[in-house]
Amino acid sequence: MSAAARDCWLQREGGQATLFVSGEWHLSRIAEIDAALAGVNLPASPLTIDGAALTRLDTAAALALLRRVAGAGASIGRLANFSNSHMRVIEAVLGRLEAIAGETRPRFHGALAVIGMHVLDFRDLMRGHLDFFGRTAAALGDIALRPSALRLKELASQFHHVCTEAIPVVVLVTFLIGVVLAYLFGLQAEKYGANIFVVDGVAIGTTRELSPIIVAVIVAGRSGAAFTAQLGTMVLTEEIDAIRTLGLSPMQVLVIPRLLALVVALPLLVFVGDVSSLAGAMTVANPLLDITPTTFIERVHSGLRLEHVIVGLTKAAVFAVFIAIIGCRMGMAVSRDSRAIGISTTSTVVQCIVSVILLDAFFAIVFQELGY
Amino acid sequence: MNAVPVIEVNSIATRFGAQVVHDGVSFSVPRGQIAALIGGSGSGKSVLVREIIGLRRPDAGSVRLLGIDVWSASEEQLMALRRRFGMLFQDGALFSSLTVAQNVATPLIEHAGVPPHLLGPLVRLRIALAGLPAEAGAKMPSELSGGMRKRAAVARALALEPEVLFLDEPTSGLDPITARAFDRLLRFLCDDLGLTILVVTHDLDTLLGIVDRTIVLADGKVIADGPVKEIMRVDDPWLQSYFRVRTMLEGPENNRGT
Repeated sequence: MSAAARDCWLQREGGQATLFVSGEWHLSRIAEIDAALAGVNLPASPLTIDGAALTRLDTAAALALLRRVAGAGASIGRLANFSNSHMRVIEAVLGRLEAIAGETRPRFHGALAVIGMHVLDFRDLMRGHLDFFGRTAAALGDIALRPSALRLKELASQFHHVCTEAIPVVVLVTFLIGVVLAYLFGLQAEKYGANIFVVDGVAIGTTRELSPIIVAVIVAGRSGAAFTAQLGTMVLTEEIDAIRTLGLSPMQVLVIPRLLALVVALPLLVFVGDVSSLAGAMTVANPLLDITPTTFIERVHSGLRLEHVIVGLTKAAVFAVFIAIIGCRMGMAVSRDSRAIGISTTSTVVQCIVSVILLDAFFAIVFQELGY
Repeated sequence: MNAVPVIEVNSIATRFGAQVVHDGVSFSVPRGQIAALIGGSGSGKSVLVREIIGLRRPDAGSVRLLGIDVWSASEEQLMALRRRFGMLFQDGALFSSLTVAQNVATPLIEHAGVPPHLLGPLVRLRIALAGLPAEAGAKMPSELSGGMRKRAAVARALALEPEVLFLDEPTSGLDPITARAFDRLLRFLCDDLGLTILVVTHDLDTLLGIVDRTIVLADGKVIADGPVKEIMRVDDPWLQSYFRVRTMLEGPENNRGT
């Protein structure tokens, strides 16, 4: 109560109530000031406020005062003995009280509306991808008619980024996959004395399924995300607009080289992954399953039909088209807002990985039906 | 009014490698003034502001802000000092994942201990003081125009009732009408709320319209310091050509007999 008495107190003379305010009325003491004001029993009648003893007043404290007065149903009859600078602060707040009265809350949507918005967003996303795919195909058509439009230098540079630089990580990951597969198959096969079939299992499993998927996921994370980030930044800095105004086509300059580089690079990387995972399997086969490298290679020759490898490489080329299209489109569609690039890049990686796995499931059925 | 100047810069020296940016810069700004810092591109205006507010250490010299030596203060003193000044970065530097109201509320929630029932009104008061309509509070920074984004940044800089406000080229990229309205906002903050303001600017209209005092940086030194009318008479080639642009524009207008 003593602290409250120091900040403000009420005096009644006849029918006239006067609120005295004093001391440091500043944001750093806002909680105390507000509590002190709440402790004063303000009358619901015109009130004189005396600020003679006030040493400091800022807008936050003035707001607390004016809101408490209004909240008690009182009104300000007179402002007495305030210094000029304090008067100006009070007037600045008074003049804006109406403007700040309304609560502006961000709108919240019901579950159904949220689901609906996501469905519409998804539809727009798919439409956009399809549109972009169409324009890419048209640009490829242009190149078929006029091969000189192909930017070889950009193509080579992109190829270097997406293929050559990815080899170490692809080799490492697929090698380890080969090791793990051979080890796990080996544990089971040994029980039946069927050690040699581990080679068949690893060879078919990696070349047909695992190597394409693993390498595509790596490339989606490396290159898909990079495409979105690069093109998104170019949208943000208006480089894409500059390319257009200079009479060049962003499709020819940016998208086609990336697409072609990836379509060539991914099958090559998958082949590297095939070899590397077999090498991984071979290294554990010798000590663990008594399969010598010579036996291993002979068994691969007889047990692995070329079809499996070709199926894997074909899938890789299709994965590459999807990764490149999604990566480039998400980059080109970035809105001019620094937050958007991060969101789009994340979205690209998720979309690429999901579409790779969906495509793979689709291929599994189609190739089965075709008898491969 | 107050004997101790709010900003006191003493023989600051700054080097980037071999390049000397500041070579003994000194000036002080008393309370309740709008001071402008001008100079050619690369004369180290923004760097100087960063040194005053404790973002970059000068190679020599000292800075006193609100009586505290910025570069020898303890971390607690600096934290306390940071609540007493606001900074407006060139592009606003609003947090892009938060709405305008959340941007303004962030320092209040973090530092001020505002009672919950006052937080909303206080945020809306800041937004109104910065001259934004109330609806702007619910918007994301990316939905605002350039001028509104700067006002939103002012609202955030004002959140903790600073005594000093630093602005880095606040009117660059704004159209002249929006820019002049922004100037009036600064004048209001200085006159009615008693803020001391240091503004880095290229805008001649800001200089001629609202600034009390102009500090000119060139060749790593303060070459002129005073009211803009006096600065215009200083015999310096850069300053002369700077103001000549203005007289060229105004010449014919005056002859038209207004």
